[in-house]
Amino acid sequence: MGSLFSSSISLRKSVRITDEEFVQLRDFIYEKSGIFVDVKRKYLFESRFSKRLNELGLSSFADYIKYLKFDMKKTAELTTLFEMVTTNETSFCRDMKQLTAFQENVLKEKIDEQRKTGKLELNIWSAGCSSGEEPYTLAILLHETLKMELSRWKITITAVDLSDAMIKKAQAGVYGDYAFKTTPEEIKTKYFKKDPEGWKVKPEVQRLVKFQQMNLNDTVSLKRIARSNIVFCRNVIIYFDEAMKKKVVGSFYDNLMPGGYLMLGHSETLHKISQTFKPVYHPGTIAYKKEG
Amino acid sequence: MGIKRLDELTAGMVLASDLVAGDGRLLFKAGTELESRHMELLKRVGIVEADVEAEACELSDSMIVDIEDYVRDFFLYVNPDFDPAIQMFHIALDLTGNAVAGGWCLPSIEERRASDVEHLEDIFLKGMGTPETIVKHETELTSFPDIYFRIKEVLEDESASANQIAKVVSTDMSLAAKLIKLVNSPLYGFPQTIDSISRAVALVGAKELSTLALGISAINYFKDIPSELVDMKTFWRHSITCGIFAKIIAGTQTGLSPERFFIAGLLHDVGRLIMFKKLPYASTEAMLFARENSIPLIEAERSVMDFCHTDISAPLLESWKFPEGLSNMINFHHNPMEFPNPLEPTIVHVADNLTNAVEICQGGMYVLPGIDEEAWEILGIKAEPTLREAVEQYQEQIDIIMSAFF
Repeated sequence: MGSLFSSSISLRKSVRITDEEFVQLRDFIYEKSGIFVDVKRKYLFESRFSKRLNELGLSSFADYIKYLKFDMKKTAELTTLFEMVTTNETSFCRDMKQLTAFQENVLKEKIDEQRKTGKLELNIWSAGCSSGEEPYTLAILLHETLKMELSRWKITITAVDLSDAMIKKAQAGVYGDYAFKTTPEEIKTKYFKKDPEGWKVKPEVQRLVKFQQMNLNDTVSLKRIARSNIVFCRNVIIYFDEAMKKKVVGSFYDNLMPGGYLMLGHSETLHKISQTFKPVYHPGTIAYKKEG
Repeated sequence: MGIKRLDELTAGMVLASDLVAGDGRLLFKAGTELESRHMELLKRVGIVEADVEAEACELSDSMIVDIEDYVRDFFLYVNPDFDPAIQMFHIALDLTGNAVAGGWCLPSIEERRASDVEHLEDIFLKGMGTPETIVKHETELTSFPDIYFRIKEVLEDESASANQIAKVVSTDMSLAAKLIKLVNSPLYGFPQTIDSISRAVALVGAKELSTLALGISAINYFKDIPSELVDMKTFWRHSITCGIFAKIIAGTQTGLSPERFFIAGLLHDVGRLIMFKKLPYASTEAMLFARENSIPLIEAERSVMDFCHTDISAPLLESWKFPEGLSNMINFHHNPMEFPNPLEPTIVHVADNLTNAVEICQGGMYVLPGIDEEAWEILGIKAEPTLREAVEQYQEQIDIIMSAFF
């Protein structure tokens, strides 16, 4: 077999990270974000970060760690760092079965409760909202459920994410076709408007959602989130180690009003993490209830 | 390599595979450089196209760079200074370069993501199924092919004669047909045609043939996997490729019976099939998670489900009472050093990595899981030229062996 490629092409393209540097960087990321990076991902990290090191003109990971800790621009660099350690795969109406089960059971229960007390208010917290698909999906579900009645309700969906760039994208509310791969066509045309760059979410959906950058490891900031009836946190705790999972789930518990629900991603579980919630089984999902 | 029409063929092109006439006669072997006098002959015997090696000039410099970046992405998880990884990288570069020169397009980011699987439903909800309960649910529901147990019986019976074995295997027509095709394939490379099971037993050996029969009958068990999850042909191609490599690598060691390694490779991912059946949604999430994060599937499975496909294969193979040596190779193919006698699982481990490397140019989606460096040492082989030679043998075998199965 004749080769088109020079045998001198090197597989390594990245700056080498020493074991010590890896541990330092990993600990730093963990401390700042709660995201735990297994040593098995060392080489993956080398290549992901090497591009950044080149951009900054740094020749070693030791220099980069110094930069993260002491440089004038260290706060801004943190945002870039977070983007490198998380991925943001998401789409509208992801996991339809869970959403339907949520709408027909959890949401219905909460709405009925509020109606009974005459307090037409609902607070939902979308923790780890990525580029906004989840909170907008929830806003759409509320429109679909409450219909004309919605105008009499005070609804706030607080959507937070670690990444500043994701929050900006979410606020812009413009999405390409890929985000709609699991969305029914009628929902798309009802709540989105064709835009030169894709589809833009309509104002009646957008006004229900408030975005802000937030680190789930920052307990003080978390306390400032208004108390919620429902917390959504899907495919986020998958990045955390057990200690951090416990801490974050504890914050959700504290934030929820009595009788409130925590919704996790399809394959995520509180098994081994928390005994305080009561799992309520619905076809397609488990809702975790804070009894009270 | 690339298929060229007769009118596109020119002198100086090199055949990438054997050129065979319509009547099955070999005209020119792979590697032959075509000369202008050959063209007349090709025309005369009715050849319409030929598979030729790519020439360097067929790919632009920017394309070469694109291919390099594309292929390197599949090696993000492995140690880039480790010789076997470097060799696999160069093998993958050459194969991908040839594929692109032959008209294959590098998949885009979108294509590398999974399709819509919102309609799939998991039988077990999160936190509710352990590998054991999942396997139990499966084995209670569907019984294993009867022929499997009859073969197992003769396999374990020391006193069984070659004749008895041949008799049992021959009762399943489709199994017998597959076996005949396999023993006639380059996997064995016998010079003469083998036309009966009893002849196959005599030549291959009773134990080896029964092992082969056992593995093939196990495959029949998996028919109802949703095709939108995973294309079964792709899945088995991966498995067969791994089997071919495992057998070749086993051949570099002394005292191992290579047939067993073909079967271990063939069934190394059998746990994934149970996952597809029982946890289709979670399996898809794991596949997506692996692709998006450039991590191996096994690690994504652990993140998403808390267990992985070898956690499933262990109770599954146990419930099938699969031969222990084979089961160990399968169950430890990702962590051979955790098995007390690591040589055999190491062979499947390396074969699996090499399989991932050759699949890059076929639209493979997953990064190489990486080779345990300590395990590699046990083999005592040199990455160069062993791996490249293995790939050359694989290229001669894969299509014929695939056709024995599908």
